[in-house]
Amino acid sequence: MGNVLIVDDSSTMRKIISRSLRQAGLQVDDIYEAGDGIEALSAMEGKTIHLILSDINMPNMDGLEFIKSVRAKGVTTPIVMITTEGGEDILKEALTNGASDSIKKPFTPDQLNEKLGGLL
Amino acid sequence: MMSLNQDIAHATHLSEADLAGYVINATKEVFSTMVMLTLEDSYPLKEPVTSFHCSVTGMVGLAGTYTGILSIHCPRSLALRITSNMLGMDVDEVGEDVNDALGEIANMLGGYVKQILSKGGLDINLSIPTVIAGEDYTVNSMSDSDCVIIPFTNENERFLVGLKLRKET
Repeated sequence: MGNVLIVDDSSTMRKIISRSLRQAGLQVDDIYEAGDGIEALSAMEGKTIHLILSDINMPNMDGLEFIKSVRAKGVTTPIVMITTEGGEDILKEALTNGASDSIKKPFTPDQLNEKLGGLL
Repeated sequence: MMSLNQDIAHATHLSEADLAGYVINATKEVFSTMVMLTLEDSYPLKEPVTSFHCSVTGMVGLAGTYTGILSIHCPRSLALRITSNMLGMDVDEVGEDVNDALGEIANMLGGYVKQILSKGGLDINLSIPTVIAGEDYTVNSMSDSDCVIIPFTNENERFLVGLKLRKET
């Protein structure tokens, strides 16, 4: 069981991820949404978040900068990148900066279950 | 006759048919997993398409070692059906939701193309998607020769996915 923060500049994708988490049978309590890294940092304030799912390619503050900001605050919540970016170097940079794992878009609920099952 | 330029084939070691095949597979995968629609593809178009009527176009740009545009062009009715399926609710007018949905499809398709062209991913940047919709409009990038355009159909409605690419020197 846990609260999830979904960070993606596409409201459609946030809805798809949210629906897919339920379809995957994952034990999710509250789902919070943010459209970029800056909104996500604000959304985290005063809340208990157990898992962050973040896109990389976003306006204002992208996913890589967002991870760095979260880790700079000493927050250890797992961050899984859900992204169209499949490049090895970009994903390596995300992992180096504190991401736990990555999921490539498009994805199926089963793939979410496989990657996130152990984190919720 | 439209085709991708020879520099692309030479640099990627992929034929135009290979690249078209990647775009076809990527489009079918995105639609089967995210839109819940099964698609039929047709042979790439031989003539450019520039004018669109009552349509929605989603585009994402690639910039870096390769530059280009990946675009999807849908009739309005199909764009509404795609958006409704993605959101799991009825959408009956073209607005923010349709723009976002078509932009995200272009983004996912652009991600596939980027991965074909760049293993590491740092030498090519994907732009934030752009969406246009209207009664009648023209997209000039589709009129150039270095372009492949693939038609897809679902329930007798047709849409196009276009890829224009250039290798930077």
